Amino acid sequence: MSEQQGNTNDQWKAPSGRRTDEWSECLTLIAANEDRAAFTRLFRHFAPLIKAFALSGSNLSATVADELVQEVMLKVWQKAGAFNPEKAAASTWVYTIARNCRTDMFRRLQKFDTPIAADDVCPEQEGEEPFSQLQSRRNRERVREMMKELPADQAQILAKVYMEGKSHAEAAGELDLPLGTVKSRVRLALQKLQIQMESYSYG
Amino acid sequence: MAKFHPELDLLTEYAAGSLSLAQAACVAAHMNYCEQCRRTAGQLEDLGATLFDSLQPETVGDVQLNAVLARLDDLPPLSYTKVEQPLAGQTPALLQRLMRGNFADLAWKKITKTLSISYLSTGDPGYEFALYHIKAGGKIPEHTHRGSEMTLVLEGGFSDANGSYHQGDFLFREPSDVHAPTALQSEDCICLAVLDAPLKFTSWKHRWMNPFLSLRAG
Repeated sequence: MSEQQGNTNDQWKAPSGRRTDEWSECLTLIAANEDRAAFTRLFRHFAPLIKAFALSGSNLSATVADELVQEVMLKVWQKAGAFNPEKAAASTWVYTIARNCRTDMFRRLQKFDTPIAADDVCPEQEGEEPFSQLQSRRNRERVREMMKELPADQAQILAKVYMEGKSHAEAAGELDLPLGTVKSRVRLALQKLQIQMESYSYG
Repeated sequence: MAKFHPELDLLTEYAAGSLSLAQAACVAAHMNYCEQCRRTAGQLEDLGATLFDSLQPETVGDVQLNAVLARLDDLPPLSYTKVEQPLAGQTPALLQRLMRGNFADLAWKKITKTLSISYLSTGDPGYEFALYHIKAGGKIPEHTHRGSEMTLVLEGGFSDANGSYHQGDFLFREPSDVHAPTALQSEDCICLAVLDAPLKFTSWKHRWMNPFLSLRAG
């Protein structure tokens, strides 16, 4: 996995002295004044990632991938007003929009006839706690650091599940592994990344 | 407050968008009742965003950018209806939409004296998505599953050999788990059940029904 581009200017100091990140700022500017310069900056950063996301592990043509890029970026423009920098991280917000648009696109391509859109099932994150953006950023910084330490076989499964949108069963089929092995690799990876649920019983 | 939850691997598939539509809808309905799972899903989405951020970027030219900029004018104004925060205890909005009304308005198919089923349509060809209505104190005949079964309690509650389950509780049963759920004595129970293969009654009294229990997916 490559290092993120433009990592260095990911954060900057806003005039208020409040630490924020460039992409939240762009979304806020779009929502406030339909700021096209801010949108262009967002586009240059996210469009290449969305295209890479569209092409991961799929046989979509470059044309269809470009369509997805357009669709996601138009949604970002339209929904910017609903983005709340206090509650969600910009990159997570954009990622969930890209994920949902891709899910809907796959279903359209499979001529899936459904009254349900991916947005209905997986709405964008609306962290409910105060400071959740800070938590979320710390969480992501920690995860990003620890991701480097992840054994290759665990990183590979996470990439399949998240970036290629494969279920555990599909990942098992493609990698010719037992389903139990895939599940335990996911579990080990999440353990290392310290992502866990509070202790409660399972159904 | 829900006591039984989807396991972490199921939530991971949900957050990654790799869960089938019908199953994702059931997990989403559970989250209506469960803040813990919403928070966990949020963390798992943050993980997705981290993986997304570190993808090897593909080239996107200015042609693309200009095409998008040109389309911004045609879009409706920046109005966007906020996703409604789920209300505790209320039937999840997504289910209400699929039901197009109240539980009482649905077409219920009577299976036994105490069990009726109403099939909802999600469009997912791999899964049956149905509501089970069990009369207070009523029993679902002992059965096993040819596939997996997700269950979410919407109203009332039921119990089986492993415990008792109330509104918002989520259960995932693997094939071959045998159980005989009984609704609580105090009130009728309504559950959402998502199956990828039909039930199989195990008791001699109900086995004759097995051939009629075909999967109603879609």
